[in-house]
Amino acid sequence: MLITKNIKPADVILQNYHLIPIISRFGIKFGFGDKNVEQICKQYGIHTDFFLEIVNAFNDKDYNPYEKLRNMSLSLTVSYLLKSHYYYNKVKLPFIENLIDSLEWEEEDNVKNKNVLKKFFSQYRKEVTEHTANEETEIYPYVLELEQNYNNTGKTASSLLEKLKTKSIKDYAETHDELNSSLLDLKNIIIKYLQPAKNQDVTEQILIEIFKLEKDLTDHTELENNVVIPVAERMETELKNRN
Amino acid sequence: MAAKLSFLIVEKSYIIRSGLMQIISNFYETGVVNELHNVENLLKNISGIKPDVLIINAKLIDAVPELILDIRKKFKDLKLIVFVGTRREADNFSVFDLKISVDEPKSLIVEKIQSLINEIKPKKDDNLSENLSEREKEVVKQIALGKTNKEIGETLFISPHTVITHRKNITKKLGIKTVSGLTVYAILNNLIKIEEAV
Repeated sequence: MLITKNIKPADVILQNYHLIPIISRFGIKFGFGDKNVEQICKQYGIHTDFFLEIVNAFNDKDYNPYEKLRNMSLSLTVSYLLKSHYYYNKVKLPFIENLIDSLEWEEEDNVKNKNVLKKFFSQYRKEVTEHTANEETEIYPYVLELEQNYNNTGKTASSLLEKLKTKSIKDYAETHDELNSSLLDLKNIIIKYLQPAKNQDVTEQILIEIFKLEKDLTDHTELENNVVIPVAERMETELKNRN
Repeated sequence: MAAKLSFLIVEKSYIIRSGLMQIISNFYETGVVNELHNVENLLKNISGIKPDVLIINAKLIDAVPELILDIRKKFKDLKLIVFVGTRREADNFSVFDLKISVDEPKSLIVEKIQSLINEIKPKKDDNLSENLSEREKEVVKQIALGKTNKEIGETLFISPHTVITHRKNITKKLGIKTVSGLTVYAILNNLIKIEEAV
């Protein structure tokens, strides 16, 4: 089903609960009654067309939002990516870490199993934090600088022209490593090799959370690879030609 | 992980092809499924695609009965399934491994194809057991201790190239790719002590 601006988010979420985290990520609070997408976006100062592309992509795996997103301002995509970073680092990863902390085994195995999993996960968390921090301090500001100069038909800032001589978004694309390998390993370890914990319900929750996080990170990377990188590349070329 | 099987469906009708595809998607072992609309170039396609199972409509071979004998002779391991539109119990399809009919219920068709699939021997390379060999365990241990391929080679008196081969097989068997993941595995299986891990 295609979600349009006249549709009520309440109806959509009742049909597909996978949209719940996306709604929160845009800062929309529940209890929005029977307002439609357009009214809610207006209330929260959200770009309606951008919002629609993201929720449609989440709602239907065959929906391809990238072409439309490439034609919107990169600042919209970047601001959404930043919100996702916050969600990973401050909400989901600490949540999973707490779940791991509450796993319990029989006495003789408890310390070893818990420590080894905790260590693995805190390393992973560090990896994600470093990866997102690098994007936030290096990549995204650079991309926004590109866009600003691109839209400004006047003179290109000399500082940017200097950067363009040595820097390219392509370098980033090449080192844009997968954060998902560790999650895949963790799933295998828990499903196949870890001794069963006394509280199986927590194991179950952890696995479900990992699957959800993995999917979210994949979408996140896709958005970077299909929107941020190609648009930035186009702007780099254009700015070099202009000057 | 068990090897996935490749299927080739030879059928003119779109509706029947879709139905056959639907049935094939039921099996865990199903990998690539290719389709052909007629028997032209069938031999060439089999050589190229190297399917494990061929499903063909009886009508398509009525005119060229020698074709299927030829296929049987050339591709000894290929499993042959004939699909018949109406019940043709009396017809001789002895050259085929299996006959499925349009009138049969899904459960019967699935059961018949599944037992045929079970006869297919796994390809050598994919027949890895999930248990690590002693040598592989030793490599996992060294990885977990934070050693490089070169160092592992020196310790175990093997070339770095052999270490890489071991690492690939380990990842394939365990489903664990990262060094930190392998370290967890090593600790859980008492290959190293937690204090030894980097």
